[in-house]
Amino acid sequence: MLIDLKTLTHELPALAGTATADLCELLAGLGFPVDGVETQGETTVLEVDVTANRGDAQSHRSLARDLAAKLGADLRPLEHAALAEGEPLVPVRLEVGAAAPYYATAVLELGRAGSTPGPVRAFLAAMGAGAKGLPAVDASNELLHRFGHPTHAFDADKVKGGITVRFARAGETLVTLDGVERQLSEKDLLIADDAGPIGLAGTMGGDGTKVSAATKRVLLESAFFDPRTVRAMAHRHGLHTDASARFGRGADPGFAPVARDLLVQRLQAWSGARLLSAWAAGSLPPAGPWVALPWAMLDRVAGYPIDHGAACDHLRRLGCGLRETGDGLLLQAPSWRHDLALPDDFAEEVLRVNGYEAIPAELPPLDCAPVALAPDYLKRRKLALRLANLGFFQTVTLGFTDPKEGQEGHGTGDSPELRTLRNPLGEDYSVMRGTLLRDLARIARLNLERGVREVRFFEIAPVFEAHPGRPMTETWTLGLVWAGELGGEDPLSPVRHMGEPEGQSFLIGVLKTIGVPDAAIGAFKRWRIDRWEGGGKEQGGWQFEIPLDAIPFEAGRIIPQFAPFSRFPVVERDLSLLVALGQPYEELRGAVAAALDGVPLAELKCVDVFRHKNLPAGRQAWLLRLRFQAADRTLTGAEVDGWMARALAAAESLGARLRG
Amino acid sequence: METSLLPPEVADAHRTFPAALAACADLDALMRLKGAFVGRDGSHAARLMEALKAAPREQKRDLGAAVNALKNQWEEALQARQAELEQARQREAALAKAWDPHLPPPLPPQGALHPLTRLMDRMVDVFRPLGYHVEEGPEAETEAHNFDGLNIPQDHPARGSADTFYFRDQDGLLLRTHTSPVQVRVLNRIGRRGPDGRSELERAGGIRFLAPGRVYRKDEIDPTHSPMFHQVEGMIVGKGIGMHHLKGTLSYAMKALFGPGAEVRFRPSYFPFVEPGAEMDVRCPLCGGSGCRVCKGSGWVELLGAGLLHPNILSMAGIDPAVWSGFAFGMGVERTAMMVSQTPDLRLFFENDQRFLRTMGGLD
Repeated sequence: MLIDLKTLTHELPALAGTATADLCELLAGLGFPVDGVETQGETTVLEVDVTANRGDAQSHRSLARDLAAKLGADLRPLEHAALAEGEPLVPVRLEVGAAAPYYATAVLELGRAGSTPGPVRAFLAAMGAGAKGLPAVDASNELLHRFGHPTHAFDADKVKGGITVRFARAGETLVTLDGVERQLSEKDLLIADDAGPIGLAGTMGGDGTKVSAATKRVLLESAFFDPRTVRAMAHRHGLHTDASARFGRGADPGFAPVARDLLVQRLQAWSGARLLSAWAAGSLPPAGPWVALPWAMLDRVAGYPIDHGAACDHLRRLGCGLRETGDGLLLQAPSWRHDLALPDDFAEEVLRVNGYEAIPAELPPLDCAPVALAPDYLKRRKLALRLANLGFFQTVTLGFTDPKEGQEGHGTGDSPELRTLRNPLGEDYSVMRGTLLRDLARIARLNLERGVREVRFFEIAPVFEAHPGRPMTETWTLGLVWAGELGGEDPLSPVRHMGEPEGQSFLIGVLKTIGVPDAAIGAFKRWRIDRWEGGGKEQGGWQFEIPLDAIPFEAGRIIPQFAPFSRFPVVERDLSLLVALGQPYEELRGAVAAALDGVPLAELKCVDVFRHKNLPAGRQAWLLRLRFQAADRTLTGAEVDGWMARALAAAESLGARLRG
Repeated sequence: METSLLPPEVADAHRTFPAALAACADLDALMRLKGAFVGRDGSHAARLMEALKAAPREQKRDLGAAVNALKNQWEEALQARQAELEQARQREAALAKAWDPHLPPPLPPQGALHPLTRLMDRMVDVFRPLGYHVEEGPEAETEAHNFDGLNIPQDHPARGSADTFYFRDQDGLLLRTHTSPVQVRVLNRIGRRGPDGRSELERAGGIRFLAPGRVYRKDEIDPTHSPMFHQVEGMIVGKGIGMHHLKGTLSYAMKALFGPGAEVRFRPSYFPFVEPGAEMDVRCPLCGGSGCRVCKGSGWVELLGAGLLHPNILSMAGIDPAVWSGFAFGMGVERTAMMVSQTPDLRLFFENDQRFLRTMGGLD
């Protein structure tokens, strides 16, 4: 909202001489931060941010009132003499109850052409509106910006019959002042004459009854309209006007007759208008209830003892009705403050005017039961740290995907349409993801294209799953990608290509390292190999994703349970085998291990794979390494020889044979 | 040496001996040279012995002395050269085993946590000593939790489909627009009375938690907006909680996050779920308060919204606001991360360029 410094100072003379920077601080301290200051010649205009609850604060007078409370100064008395109301010249019917409870009006005969005074024209220019040269319009606009109450002037000779405030009927239309023909809905609140709609209440007048240079008589409107009704109507028609911004956030019903009077006075002064009659229909809404604010509550909210006298002075200056009781205050909100209803609301007013800087800073006493961090949360944190320590970079992606995900079969096997948004940013962003792999593949490709040799990424995020008739689920999931070339960056590490089939074993290694049991890995289906162009050559890599539930985590355990280990020597033997090219490793390993059941076998693994054209056709050489260690004695060479013979026999049963 | 008595080919060989000796690059070559000069058969020494045998008697004495001197000279020189070459061989063998420790080593690979994770984790760590734990909720939320339970009016613009993502075929289901629905879920849980007539809140005497997480708003992607971003929500419910506690808690937290010099200020503001409401600014970390582009010259940067829990929020969860009070605050993680790191573009956090993650990430 724009505030003209000169007009603000006119309303609150105590501001005279205040530096603009200090005024900005004062306003920010009251909850009205100043977003900008613009000075042109003599005129300084502030751009003030007003929060949604303070519909009343959208005027110079109301900001001056808050400042007056803060400074303990007086507002300039309103130059207002109440008009004597007379007979209605036309009937005014209010048909919508609380949506429009009060409607003040007057009819004037305009005299000479008249002109808007220079200072008012300058003020309207500062407000960014500019004078229209029609005193009825300019006076209405001036009152709006100065006092916050929207009014309207109709060309009285174009109004047919009486005024009715009613909801629109199906099929009605209205051409508004901006020249747009509006299709009205039955929720639109209208000002109508006997021929039909002549204005959208509190939002914009109709084109057919607008005041022009030719207008002889004006019919004024200064009413109160329900905020919700106006807000919805403005939204429906995309018609956010100065008037709807004020009625929509709560205008001051008590000011409606005053605004009418001030408008009449201005027309009389500026263009020699003659008042034919002023009258009102309906009644002003009753004043709000009295609310008890105990001093003890005020002290609790503030955290420091509130000065009773100063608090009363602040609240009175803000316009509150106030009675002191023994232990606190009875308060009544002024007609313009729709945001004051609870004792807490009034307490905020006292704190606000005192300034939040007066509130001390104290830590609350620790008086509630301690709660441990949830295992799921801890698990995610520790897992992320573990993977980062293993050389992986954590990614964060938005979580939106496109409908192709479902067709590609990388989703969760659910109904992607149930994960689809009604109002997405675009088709690419229309589905909540059922997999992390697409985002990780995209990031891997991006980084390879940018010349990264080896990419290692992981993401831990919820993955959505939706089935008809069941609630949507979000499963915390780990996704991981390892792609490109590793090694070859120092004299001791050979180059390895992650895109080759053996790349998958690297990822199985990661799964084992983070504690996923072998059985779970064996049953694991969500693998994916991808190939991308990167750095001028084809690059590949592997991905997996796994729900976090499948990763064991013992939250309660500080260190694992002790497992005894042998102090006797280890005997290490290698078994060099020729095996079929298609021989599954786990099968061979399992067979050898089974043959050595009951033997103190400490470790059994393949430590070398050799493939060469000089080997017999269809064969490869595997070097199995076996480590034996007994818990209670030193092993003899003879017994180990016997075990190795059993191991060889087990391998031979699968078609392997000793490599000569 | 008198060489005139020597056979001419031996005299020639003797002249070239020093050069031949020097030309021996290894022990094999030296052994060959040694054989040629002092070997048992066919060597120059053998040839000399034959010449000595055949020499006239009167020359034998002089020639014998010359032959001996020559043989000794050759043998000494060959031995010295052999020692030299052996030393060189040992030196080379030692060098062949050695490794310049300054050659690039095979380092264990270094990854990193995402900077946003780091900041959220740090928030939790800062609040842990104050008794806060972590609460979480789903990202696909109901209107009841995301709006109704937070005192947000039915016609509030934030509920509109221009601001909030709704699921197409799931009635009333939306992507949460803030972490505040976690407040509603927790309040509903702790306000519910058990079979003993007491609520979790009454049994525990209060609650304090943070709710970090992902939230969604219908903003186009640009340098300062993203349809998904992160918030950290904090809430406390207890007895006698006031604005001074909010101020004390956040002042402590900001000093813990940004250093002991961190300066904060509180301004009145409005959110439907708090009363009184406040916004907290911190002294601009870039200019230290003198005014710059980041703080738009004001010296302060807005960091979070906060306030005392609105009594309606407590009442809706069955908690008596006459007995219980509390505060809540909500901080934008990206905004804070951008501010402290001077990251110029929000999109960098979601692009996941490994160079960015390597620089901005870390292991804590």
